Amino acid sequence: MAKYFDVIIVGAGPAGSLAALKLARAGLNVCLVERGQYPGAKNMFGGLLHNTPVLNEMLPDFWERAPLERHVYKKVLAFMTPESAVSLTFENENFEQPPYNGHTVFRPAFDSWLAAEAVREGALLLCDCTAEDIIKKDGRVAGVTVKGREGTLRGNIVIAADGVLSFMAEKAGLRKDFKAKNMGVGIKLLLGLPEATINERFHLVRDEGADISFVGTTGGMGGGGFLYTNRESISVGMVVHLDSLKASGKAPYEVLDELLQHPQVRKLVKGAVPLEYSAHLIPEGGFTAMPQVYTDGMMVAGDAAGLCYTNGINLEGINLSMTSGVLAAETAIKALEVGDYSARTLSLYKKKLDESFIIKDMKTFKNAAGMMHLERLSRTYPQVLAGILEKLYRVEGMPRSKLLRLARKEALKEVGLKNLIADGIKIGRALL
Amino acid sequence: MNIENLQQLTQFQIDEQAHIIVDKEICKTCDHRACVQSCPANCYTFDEETKLLSVVYETCLECGTCYIICDKGALDWSYPRGGYGVCFRLT
Ligand SMILES: Cc1cc2nc3c(=O)[nH]c(=O)nc-3n(C[C@H](O)[C@H](O)[C@H](O)COP(=O)(O)OP(=O)(O)OC[C@H]3O[C@@H](n4cnc5c(N)ncnc54)[C@H](O)[C@@H]3O)c2cc1C
Ligand code: SF4
Ligand code: SF4
Repeated sequence: MAKYFDVIIVGAGPAGSLAALKLARAGLNVCLVERGQYPGAKNMFGGLLHNTPVLNEMLPDFWERAPLERHVYKKVLAFMTPESAVSLTFENENFEQPPYNGHTVFRPAFDSWLAAEAVREGALLLCDCTAEDIIKKDGRVAGVTVKGREGTLRGNIVIAADGVLSFMAEKAGLRKDFKAKNMGVGIKLLLGLPEATINERFHLVRDEGADISFVGTTGGMGGGGFLYTNRESISVGMVVHLDSLKASGKAPYEVLDELLQHPQVRKLVKGAVPLEYSAHLIPEGGFTAMPQVYTDGMMVAGDAAGLCYTNGINLEGINLSMTSGVLAAETAIKALEVGDYSARTLSLYKKKLDESFIIKDMKTFKNAAGMMHLERLSRTYPQVLAGILEKLYRVEGMPRSKLLRLARKEALKEVGLKNLIADGIKIGRALL
Repeated sequence: MNIENLQQLTQFQIDEQAHIIVDKEICKTCDHRACVQSCPANCYTFDEETKLLSVVYETCLECGTCYIICDKGALDWSYPRGGYGVCFRLT
């Protein structure tokens, strides 16, 4: 195997495949290299494919053809203590029609489908190939070596869409060593349940889906839990920061088990059949932890470029990765037109990113990464909330306090004034 | 759900070549051994008697947690050769 391509893309995830589709449509000779037996074999996420304008533009009928599970209709934010749950539910009729706000998907199915769309337009997909190193020519990136199916692939431009650990960006000297505080690990258990049971338990009809975020179910660690409904299964899992996990001395699957045993969650998953267990890292350092995204002959897209963020309410990654993939492809098309693959030409990619919603949102929520590290957010505040509500609802023939006084008392008891003010400032900076 | 049951749910294409190699000398003096507790697939065990750390790479989910968490440079960690390792079917 020794071939020459206009563009070599490492990684057939959402970023890589949509970039490949864009390039193939422009008539370019593009190769998509994937280490899994098929695209998606190595990929897992919580479950929500957010509405992504570039995807809608490039594949306008995608929601009729893509392997989607349910469109998300109901969003729930649940604050949990060991014995109670306080939840906020948002249901919206506008989420019921195209363009849907998001769909739950399975990555092996979705990623394979998206890569096949690129292949249909002329991209060459090579599975079973782990890119091992980059090849340089005259000081610029000019290809990759692969192991699995052994060989060398050469080309004018390499797009590293190789996900969170991006060894390609590392080999090209674009990123520093990772810090545990900038990474989270997600673990997930897929549980089979009949469609009718899911609809009944979550109050859904037809293709409607629910997305539940749990706060307070991570054994005191910074992070959160999630539950997504698929057609005939539910995905339950959690994401925790690696520094927090390391300090806790707990095993992640034990904490997941605690979530599954929580009295309110147990009712939702009762009788479900475990189908698959998975784990994956997630870049959580936000804007300030991003690597350099281009160099001579190479651009970095998606998780590989750290393009993923959470503000405690939304977790966005797949939409950012697909959009960045397309922006890298547009830049490559331009560079090939002028026949110049230097960093100077490829800097257009950075400019496009900066102008897009991606970097704007990453900047807006750049303090959210720090906020999510507030362990009180996932440990103490759910308790405060539950404490207030329990006192409000419990009827036991004792004199009552007014709401505000009660809230103040509970918060001061659990958190203390100094912490309360400090946390207020931190959360305010991150979200307001 | 215990971890042994969880592991059986996931499919692997096992390579005879290990993709994680530990420097057992470094691990002898490690002050946290965070890899043991933190691995979502329970791949690491430390034998208190022999003071040896061992890794079962065959059931590794390739998440990278240990790679990031080990701050002693004891792990030689890479992705398996193309086509080998974990193979998610549904998730
Ligand atoms: C637990 C969890 C929950 C999440 N939930 C959500 C969510 O609900 N919504 C959302 O928008 N985002 C979510 N995300 C984030 C989202 O999954 C990522 O942002 C997104 O998958 C990034 O896409 P990508 O194409 O950049 O990278 P990936 O999807 O990681 O794709 C990278 C591809 O490159 C391949 N690869 C890697 N290295 C090599 C190599 N050397 N050679 C060949 N191939 C290689 C991999 O096999 C993979 O196919 C979640 C993430 C996790 C971990
Ligand atoms: S692999 Fe790293 S974290 Fe684990 S015991 Fe060895 S030195 Fe410690
Ligand atoms: S990569 Fe993840 S699953 Fe594999 S050994 Fe390391 S921590 Fe465990």
